[in-house]
Amino acid sequence: MIKIENVHKSYGTGDSRNEVLKGVSLTVKDGDFVVILGASGSGKSTLLNVISGLEPADEGTICYDDRKVSSMNDTELTKFRKEYIGYIFQQYFLLPNLDVDKNVKMGADLAGNKEYRKTIKAVGLEEKRMKYPHELSGGEQQRVSVARALAKKPKVLYLDEPTGALDEQTGRQVLDYICTLKRELGFTMVMVTHNQNIAQMADTVIRMNSGRIVETYHNTKQKTAYEIAW
Amino acid sequence: MMYEYVRCREEYGMIISFKDVFKMIGILIVSFCAVFVCTLFLNYYIDITSVEAAITGQMARIMYEAMRNTAKMVSALSGGCLLLTSVVLLCFYIGHYVDTHKKQLGILKALGYSRFAIAKGFAVFGLCVFAGAAAGYLGAHLLMPGFYETQNAEGYFPPFDATFHPSLFIALAVLPAVFFAMLSIFYSYYRLRVSALTLMREAAAVKVVKAKKETNMPFLTELRKSSVRQRKSLVFFITFAVFCFSSMMQMSFSMDELASVMMAVMIMSIGIVLACVTLLIATTSVMKANAKTITMLKVFGYEARECAKAVLGGYRPWAYVGFAVGTVYQFGLLKIAVEVVFAGMEGIPEYGFDVPAFFCTLVVFVLLYEGIMRFYGKKMERFSVKEIMLD
Ligand SMILES: Nc1ncnc2c1ncn2[C@@H]1O[C@H](COP(=O)(O)OP(=O)(O)O)[C@@H](O)[C@H]1O
Ligand SMILES: [Mg+2]
Repeated sequence: MIKIENVHKSYGTGDSRNEVLKGVSLTVKDGDFVVILGASGSGKSTLLNVISGLEPADEGTICYDDRKVSSMNDTELTKFRKEYIGYIFQQYFLLPNLDVDKNVKMGADLAGNKEYRKTIKAVGLEEKRMKYPHELSGGEQQRVSVARALAKKPKVLYLDEPTGALDEQTGRQVLDYICTLKRELGFTMVMVTHNQNIAQMADTVIRMNSGRIVETYHNTKQKTAYEIAW
Repeated sequence: MMYEYVRCREEYGMIISFKDVFKMIGILIVSFCAVFVCTLFLNYYIDITSVEAAITGQMARIMYEAMRNTAKMVSALSGGCLLLTSVVLLCFYIGHYVDTHKKQLGILKALGYSRFAIAKGFAVFGLCVFAGAAAGYLGAHLLMPGFYETQNAEGYFPPFDATFHPSLFIALAVLPAVFFAMLSIFYSYYRLRVSALTLMREAAAVKVVKAKKETNMPFLTELRKSSVRQRKSLVFFITFAVFCFSSMMQMSFSMDELASVMMAVMIMSIGIVLACVTLLIATTSVMKANAKTITMLKVFGYEARECAKAVLGGYRPWAYVGFAVGTVYQFGLLKIAVEVVFAGMEGIPEYGFDVPAFFCTLVVFVLLYEGIMRFYGKKMERFSVKEIMLD
């Protein structure tokens, strides 16, 4: 369980100080699928970075089970991310000089996962295993990044606009791969998006507006990536 | 595109900005060292030759010949070695500059600027060489009175003063600057031979050196191998830097016995400066090229130290190869030099391999090399995730 209480975060100082998170509290149950909605600039990415231990919060507490992330130093945070967290970003951020196999291995080695090729197969990239990122389409690159994050066997997967750079068809396909793997592996998932429709796939939906959570609700029935409108 | 266009127009007056020239601090330092040493010894050579008639006595004659030979050898050796370094460094810089500015250069070409008009701008690199050379010349003249005194500590020669030789200034500062300016123009002219469109297309393309065959090693090992594969020119640089360090340090220990302390100190400082500059340039370039990769590794939970080791570690074996070659080189060179310089003199001990000097140099090298690697490891810890996400 992830417990976030009264998290504040601002950038800059003095007159240019910009409070991006203005007291966010939220609880995420194990195995939950949370979607965070909100307009551009409302602080979604910042929230994701702060609760996943990439950036320190100014104030407030963040706890994963009995581990208090908000009071860890940089080395402890790195170790924590290694054990707990997987990331998928809008811009993929694959390692350009290494092929698909090695990119996925990057995640797998952190968890001592020797069977990472199964994950490559699971995202349908078995044939492109020896290709380099620049030789792949956007959708394929994002699937590599999905395999990389999941080969790491994370307890929590954070996704920041994973379909933001993809067209409808590849977007649906990537989401479908992610959800299939979630059912199989049972990790917790927190996804940021500004596509309202994707919210219908989630268990819990959170809406943000200028640094605050303004709405939280639970879906009784979840749609699949091919059932939602785009 | 519009923005790029405007920027190029603005920059056209000076294609290479001051900041770019500043980055060539390496060449500045190398040319400083080269000219400093050459001026010192060549000036001495000319001045002592001018008092030749006044040197009588058998021992004085022998010392006179030995001094002249040393001066010739040292300036040829360090001058040549450093000249080669600066040529390599300069080509590396220009190549790197063209690689990273392909888009701007492509746009300039597309706008109709001729190849030569663009290449002309690269001549400012010659200025950098001139600045370093002039400073070296000046520095040598400042040190000259003291140097002349130590060279004649035993009083074999009649006292003579350091004189200013304009021809030496032209040969050591002006001509090299002109030479390097021309070299810059020719080399960049050559690099710009492809069409504007090709330049722009290449700018957008990703350059990746692929692995030749499939391997199955731990990820960090793969990363280490790939890192070296991507930048093979740096293997040369690092090996060369350590080669210079190893040979010059060990040589300076022997110089202490064979020639003067002054020369020993000088050769030692040149070796250290040269090695440090080259090593820092090479390492910075590796780090810059891998900044995104390292940040991503950190995001996923790899420790900064592991990342540094993986990205820089592939060059370590080459550094030690450089050290070994440098050791052999200096031994061979001194063996020959002793025979030439002291030919016909009696009482000169047989020159043998200096074991303490070797170990001393090795220790300094290990400390220096590992120190630089640690420094970069620390630097990597400060990479932030935001930096790569924002661009
Ligand atoms: N490193 C930073 N420095 C300064 N301001 C930042 C930084 N990161 C984000 N911001 C600001 O915080 C606000 C929220 O950003 P972000 O969390 O990326 O929003 P979202 O992901 O919802 O679009 C924006 O106004 C942005 O300009
Ligand atoms: Mg965002």
